[in-house]
Amino acid sequence: MIKIKNLSHMYKNRSEEALRNISLHVKKGESVVIIGSSGSGKSTLLKCINRLIEPRTGKIFIEGEDIVNCHEKKAEKIRGKVSMIFQNFNLIERNTVIDNVLNGRLKYMSTVRTILGRFSREDYRVARENLKRVGLEENAEDRVSSLSGGQKQRVAIARALSQRPDIILADEPVSNLDPKLMKEVMDLLKKICDEKGITLVTSLHFLDFAKRYGSRIIGMKNGTIVFDGKPVDLTEKDIVDIYGKTEDWYLYGKTGF
Amino acid sequence: MKIKKSDNPDFVAKLKRMFVEGKYKKLMIGILIVIIYYWALSGAKFSPSDFVKGFPFMADFVKRMFPPDISNLGKFLLKAVETLQMAIVGSTLGALIAFPLSFLAARNIMHNKLIYHGVRTIFDTCRGINEIVWGLIFVSMVGLGPFPGVLALTAHVTGALGRYFSEAIETADPEVIKAIVSTGANKIQVITRGIFPQVKPLFLNYVLYYLENNFRAATVLGLVGAGGIGMELITSMRLFRNREVLTILIIMVLMVTLIDRFSAYIRKNVVRIESPK
Repeated sequence: MIKIKNLSHMYKNRSEEALRNISLHVKKGESVVIIGSSGSGKSTLLKCINRLIEPRTGKIFIEGEDIVNCHEKKAEKIRGKVSMIFQNFNLIERNTVIDNVLNGRLKYMSTVRTILGRFSREDYRVARENLKRVGLEENAEDRVSSLSGGQKQRVAIARALSQRPDIILADEPVSNLDPKLMKEVMDLLKKICDEKGITLVTSLHFLDFAKRYGSRIIGMKNGTIVFDGKPVDLTEKDIVDIYGKTEDWYLYGKTGF
Repeated sequence: MKIKKSDNPDFVAKLKRMFVEGKYKKLMIGILIVIIYYWALSGAKFSPSDFVKGFPFMADFVKRMFPPDISNLGKFLLKAVETLQMAIVGSTLGALIAFPLSFLAARNIMHNKLIYHGVRTIFDTCRGINEIVWGLIFVSMVGLGPFPGVLALTAHVTGALGRYFSEAIETADPEVIKAIVSTGANKIQVITRGIFPQVKPLFLNYVLYYLENNFRAATVLGLVGAGGIGMELITSMRLFRNREVLTILIIMVLMVTLIDRFSAYIRKNVVRIESPK
């Protein structure tokens, strides 16, 4: 599904590499959770996968197609198969909920129809169906700015689903929510992906969450992968490798060890 | 006092601390402001005594304005409407030209430096030339009347709105843009669905502001023969019909107030500008 070979990235005006020689193979239907402290490269890795960030070197294949060394048009096409969910929801706040969800349908639309704002009946049907799926069909005409954080992220999930993706990349999707909503939103996302057989790659801060929602865990530190395996195989030594000092563990929710 | 730098670096550093960084900093800034202001006033030939001496003339001028002469009211009102028409056409035309160009002058969209700076230069030139000067240019090109006035407004507004539009586009949240890019949308789709909705209220706000502004500008364009109520104003002034001048001034103030109210209404009820969070 996703194949990454020798991926490295460095941001402008930085001396250290954000990603160092990452190789990774994600299979169809997997739920991969990437953990690591801030600045470990989780977010950079996710954004390289759909080429929101142009990687310095390395190759990325989505369903066998090279997204790095291709024309922008081709990259747009590949991106269509990959939805993304963001930490800050990244919705158009002053527009309505349905309007935001419809943005997931852009890849099915011509440029002219987009400019005229004419989505098809099918687009509306899919958007409403997905809003219903995330439990927000009542709020379709509300402005996003009037919603709570949990609702906003559910709108973002509906937008992601309207793309009919094969893969969903979720970049710290629950970091801006309170603990109860965190669980609600992650449960919903995981359930939908399991139902539809969507491959899910999530970056999360908390160990508890990673073990609960990941069928596979990837630990990152300083731009490299230091752990890759099943949640049950995660040892205390691995956690030290990922997060550093033992006394800081409580920050990441070390319960359950 | 002569300070030899090489002799005593500590002393220089001490002086620097005292005057540039330390307790005399505010005093130094104060002295600087007084100097600059004195220089500016002397250049502007500012003379309070002349102003006071001129009071009787002013009083006489105002006295001769009363009561306002409304015998030509109908004609003036028609000219006021013409001024409004000029403002509407000039603003919308300028906005329509500026709109597509502004995307070419926004750094977050246009990565080609040549086009970016080229369009910016066009905007700055259009904006830098005052409406009156544009009016003179277009009057000599197409003759007297409201048409050169409209062209003058359009030229200036294209530059001004182009500049403000492109700056508004640059303030669009890049993370939200990324979200639209991630759906597989193409460039034009990203602009129409990701950037434009973010900047739409700002755009409308600027257009409304320039509508107000253009009405005021259109009233003076008549002074150079480019149509509108300003033409009546200059004629009445030249013929010393001071009572007509007052009528025209009243009409102008009323119109500006009316347009202000109108755009305030639009802003509140149609654009619904929300306070940023």
